[in-house]
Amino acid sequence: MRVSFKLFATLTDLLPPEREGNVVVLDVEEGTCVQDLIDRFRVPPKSAHLVLVNGVFVPPGARAGRRLMDQDELAVWPPIAGG
Amino acid sequence: MNDDQLLRYSRHILLDEIGIEGQQAFLDARALVVGAGGLGSPAAMYLAAAGVGSIVLCDGDEVDLTNLQRQILHDAESVGAPKVLSGRRTLLRLNPEAHIEALQTRLEGEALVEQVRLADVVLDCSDNFSTRHAINRACVATRTPLVSGAAIRFDGQISVFDLRKNESPCYHCLFPEDAAGEELRCAVMGVFAPLTGIIGATQAAEALKVLAGCGTTLVGRLLLLDGLNMEWRSIRLERDPSCSVCGRPSEGGEGPH
Repeated sequence: MRVSFKLFATLTDLLPPEREGNVVVLDVEEGTCVQDLIDRFRVPPKSAHLVLVNGVFVPPGARAGRRLMDQDELAVWPPIAGG
Repeated sequence: MNDDQLLRYSRHILLDEIGIEGQQAFLDARALVVGAGGLGSPAAMYLAAAGVGSIVLCDGDEVDLTNLQRQILHDAESVGAPKVLSGRRTLLRLNPEAHIEALQTRLEGEALVEQVRLADVVLDCSDNFSTRHAINRACVATRTPLVSGAAIRFDGQISVFDLRKNESPCYHCLFPEDAAGEELRCAVMGVFAPLTGIIGATQAAEALKVLAGCGTTLVGRLLLLDGLNMEWRSIRLERDPSCSVCGRPSEGGEGPH
């Protein structure tokens, strides 16, 4: 199945070079969970602050068990402070 | 309001949600804008143009050439000058009736609490987590509404924390202090010029709504702007009953522990 993976602000650099802007489309195995992708791309735990699947917030406790579906969009926001 | 003011603010007065009463509330209000940079520029300019009577502009920095790409309070002539003096000049050009107080310092401690206490609304346009948490603590202690914006690269966030409302979270409920990531500034990461305009202008809009008491503010919601794809997301925020800054025992006395 295919999912979109978006990393925002300072996290964008963790995406592979083939990223388009802040997003990369990935082929992943059935059963892949939210936390699996966060770990695979080495997003530091403190930076995985706001995690959204299709725009809906996934709280920290639910990330390990939340399975992704085909065409899902997973987005991760770090805390940002710039002004 | 005199005839000149009725004319100057007529396009606000025509709005049912604002009217004479709302405009008078703006004129009587005192807003604290912390940070006279990318966010503080448009935020303070809209507040001044809209007729907010007193604006306290606070920033310890001086204008640098690299600021001019987005910090529209400042111009080429003000490079090297204190940002708050450059900012005051711009704001007074927009609206000579406004009272602009320029504080050339990084507000901290009791001075910060005092300025927050005097303000009707606080706009956090600062550029670091420690200032953001200090402002939040002062706003919680004095129950002053806080309009918080942040921007880096192409991405922005904005919310309103209004501790006058029992259900409102505070900034710390959203960003626990120990969870703050490493601080990476615009100088390292870059920032898209109009992004700061979009977020800063949205902060001004929310501050004016707080002052006029109109519409629905961003209390309990965080707006996320993906500027690269121009997509807004809104996520719901709840207050954290065990928050170390605003944690309040529930009504029935049944505490979280």
